[in-house]
Amino acid sequence: MDTTAQFPKIAFRIIKEQELIIGPLAWDEARKVQGIQILNQKNGEINLDSGNQKNIIDRLVAQYERIFGEASHVVCHDAVQDLIAEMPPEEIPASLK
Amino acid sequence: MQNDDNAVSSEEDKKIREELYKQNLELARLYKEVDSLNSNLNTANDNLKNLIKQRESLVHLITHKVKGSFTRTKFIFAGMLDGTFGEINPEVKKVAEQGLDFDNGGIQTVDLVLNVANLQNGLIKYDMRELDFKDVVMKTVEEKRLAVEAKGLKLELSIEKDTYKVTGDAFWLKEVVSNLIENSIKYTKEGKISVALSDGGKILLSVKDTGLGITEEDKHNLFTEGGRGKDSIKVNVDSTGYGLFTVKMVVEAHKGKVWGESEGTGKGSQFYVELPIS
Repeated sequence: MDTTAQFPKIAFRIIKEQELIIGPLAWDEARKVQGIQILNQKNGEINLDSGNQKNIIDRLVAQYERIFGEASHVVCHDAVQDLIAEMPPEEIPASLK
Repeated sequence: MQNDDNAVSSEEDKKIREELYKQNLELARLYKEVDSLNSNLNTANDNLKNLIKQRESLVHLITHKVKGSFTRTKFIFAGMLDGTFGEINPEVKKVAEQGLDFDNGGIQTVDLVLNVANLQNGLIKYDMRELDFKDVVMKTVEEKRLAVEAKGLKLELSIEKDTYKVTGDAFWLKEVVSNLIENSIKYTKEGKISVALSDGGKILLSVKDTGLGITEEDKHNLFTEGGRGKDSIKVNVDSTGYGLFTVKMVVEAHKGKVWGESEGTGKGSQFYVELPIS
């Protein structure tokens, strides 16, 4: 399974779910995470720096959690369950396990 | 001192942010729930529309087929009675007459169901013209007189004025009057049927009988599709529940009102039709 293609999808899903709760602020917070580039917010084009993409996802989850608490972590976790279901366990970001 | 204040404020700020997030989360959850219910409702709506269409086409198919069969046997019975098939003995003649009656009743019922379906689908175009409603009422009453008297009932007609001008479709208004009188005939064992026409700013037709009456429970179903009274089926086994529904549709298409009153079981019924004066 090509997990490299999966991580941007995970990031997008998390941001969209947070957007439902906190509005456009979700995108602003995502932009602050090192390694994430929002190419086209409307079309959901997101680029994650190559390297440790697992770590970028963890940082994105932590970014929301730092501001909005544990509840936002649970939201991130629940939002991507179907996407991580088929990933090898070692590839799943720790924050989403 | 300043730093301590800031530390407390920051903690409070975090709490507020988290609390607001939780509230927003709950709102988002509700939003998703409403969205999902909406989507289910749309699907149910689509399914219902399809079912209605299927039912309509089934009603048309069945009624046309049934009517076709009735019509064919009607001609057979009529042929037996008019000598087309040669001489018949009195016993066979009696059976043929009964068969013809049954066929006519069947055709009438099928027409009623077909009319309702067509009225509901807007397939019937009313031929609205200025007419005298008195003529419609008088003609219908005279047509029904034989049937009323054959049942041993009295039929009274009271008309206050010379003319009752309405804009309407003569055929369908006649159906209304006919339906109400027929109902009274069916549900009245003894006594009389009184038809009256008056004008109190609007034209008011009343058809009163000394029959079965209407229970409070039945009043709610009177003018609904297929709505039959609890006891009506015992008296009139051929009750379709479409007669008064047809009346309501036609009267409302004429910008009028129809309603029924009764003091209860065994105390007779009064049906009223109110139409605007033309």
